Amino acid sequence: MPDPAPSKGRLFVANRGEIALRAIRAAQALGMEAVLGVSAADRDGLGARRADRAVVLGPAQARDSYLNAKLIVHAAKETGCTALHPGYGFLSERAELAQLCAEEGIAFVGPTPESIQQVGDKLSARAMAKAANVPMTSGSEAVDDLAHALRLAEQIGYPVITKASAGGGGRGMVVAHAPEELAAAFDQAVTTAREAFGDGTLFIERYVEVARHIEVQVIGDGKGGVVHFGERDCSIQRRYQKMIEEAPAAILSPDVRKRLHAAAVQLLSSIDYRNAGTVEFLYDSASEDFFFMEVNARIQVEHPVSEAITGTDLIQAQIRLATGAIADFAQEDIQTQGHAIEARIIAEDPDRDFMPCPGRITRWSPPTGPGVRVDSAMESGAMVPPYYDSMIAKLIVHGASREEAVDRLAQALDDFQVEGIATNIPLLKFIIAHPDFRTNSINTRWLETDVLPAFRARQGR
Amino acid sequence: MSEISTQDIEALMALFERTGWKVMHLKAGDFDLFLSKDGSGSALAGAPSVPALPSVPTPALSAPAPAPAGAAQPSASAGDPVVPPGWVLVTAPSLGTFYRAPKPGVPMFTDLGASVAKDSELCLIEVMKLFTTLRATATGTVREIYAQDGQLVEYGQPLFLIEPDA
Repeated sequence: MPDPAPSKGRLFVANRGEIALRAIRAAQALGMEAVLGVSAADRDGLGARRADRAVVLGPAQARDSYLNAKLIVHAAKETGCTALHPGYGFLSERAELAQLCAEEGIAFVGPTPESIQQVGDKLSARAMAKAANVPMTSGSEAVDDLAHALRLAEQIGYPVITKASAGGGGRGMVVAHAPEELAAAFDQAVTTAREAFGDGTLFIERYVEVARHIEVQVIGDGKGGVVHFGERDCSIQRRYQKMIEEAPAAILSPDVRKRLHAAAVQLLSSIDYRNAGTVEFLYDSASEDFFFMEVNARIQVEHPVSEAITGTDLIQAQIRLATGAIADFAQEDIQTQGHAIEARIIAEDPDRDFMPCPGRITRWSPPTGPGVRVDSAMESGAMVPPYYDSMIAKLIVHGASREEAVDRLAQALDDFQVEGIATNIPLLKFIIAHPDFRTNSINTRWLETDVLPAFRARQGR
Repeated sequence: MSEISTQDIEALMALFERTGWKVMHLKAGDFDLFLSKDGSGSALAGAPSVPALPSVPTPALSAPAPAPAGAAQPSASAGDPVVPPGWVLVTAPSLGTFYRAPKPGVPMFTDLGASVAKDSELCLIEVMKLFTTLRATATGTVREIYAQDGQLVEYGQPLFLIEPDA
């Protein structure tokens, strides 16, 4: 029989890296114990040492450790855990994990399995948004074949983008400006989606050429009550992977901001959404229109910028809500202050086409100072294993204004010393020194079309 | 097979562990991998040899049962058990609950000092009502049983030490 949990409960952390460490600390700050499930590759990591207990789930391969829902719930049950935090990535948006937790009487720190399914399928999410009167780009239902796709694209109007119904991350996405382009890429997009998600269903949307990625952080009480914690601008991306995120989105007028928040709240309220989630939108700064993209039914990597401007610990908020320590939040208690920026530090070499650089960190000296926060599970002597995502830290700065935040970020990046492996820190420095970044004249394609060519050219200096 | 990564090697080792094979020898270009479960050395003089089991820190031979909840360290990291040359250490293939009998109230599969035949059942590992049977990879005598019946064991944790018959 497992040890009985302490009165505040015991949290199982089903993730790794910085988010695992963050969940461990949040649980301990709330008087709970934290148990971390690790793979053999992570057994000596900082998370395993900071947890009250760590158990080795399986070998390094995620499939046999972090991605095995039954193994994880068995471990949670047998270590006497009362709640489970899934973090982001891995199993965080798999209904199976939430379902198994429910069956075992373990509080899942996240949405219900039904909500995860409903928002995880993009076609059902679009139907949900339509019913809630949330603005969307004109788009299609599921596409049968190329002939059908061409007919739909003609109705919607070019340019169009294909998307996989079953998932994101750029897989299954093809932008077409003309029928020939759609015809040339369609079959490959279906194949890519099927390989990535086991489901090749595509749909088609109108493509917004110059757009920003703006998203709203919300928490729902599961009974229709939903509050927001402001929005984030995550437009600096490479291959649909975010690299720098800000809060608030300085580009928005007060009126548009208000309507954006209302749309996000309305959408998740309509399905009695529970716990933390993010509603992602495309924003056309020329017309000031925003369009629903998708709902992420988890805490996101970039949540700390929202924490910085609202002064709320969102991980603690998630846990308190899931364990019944609090019933709901009041919108009027959530105020925003100043400006925050997050830069993702990844173990990839921007000078070698972002080749992943796993290995031993010989020196790890993160920056400190007013308004500077680093979320990481790295330390000198730590190993960056080759099996998982390459993000090794998040650098978050907060200032009274965007200018102050940018200045603090520049200083913090200068102070960030990492030796032993290559990182994207040189590129991050280059980005924030760019005049377009300073004036906030960017879009989702800016990093790839404007910055990277200039960054590569500077290598020839 | 131009580039073989650590992941590939780990995958091969995992595959090897799941089979009933005693040795595996894979050669592809400059790459030469020899895996052995019964502790026998590489059949090829000078060929690189990799131990069959991941070298994971595990409790010492005389270590007590792994620490209960509240221990600050992963329970399976107190040090390696001493495995005499040629003896077989059976470790947990994943985290799970360790059972020494097929069901409550019936005799255990095996016991300390008992003889085991190759492929005979040693224990069950349960993960959410799914039971995996671990079998002896060699005929011999059970010299150590490291885990308690009904205990949660972790991946790589030593379960049995078997001295093969000469």
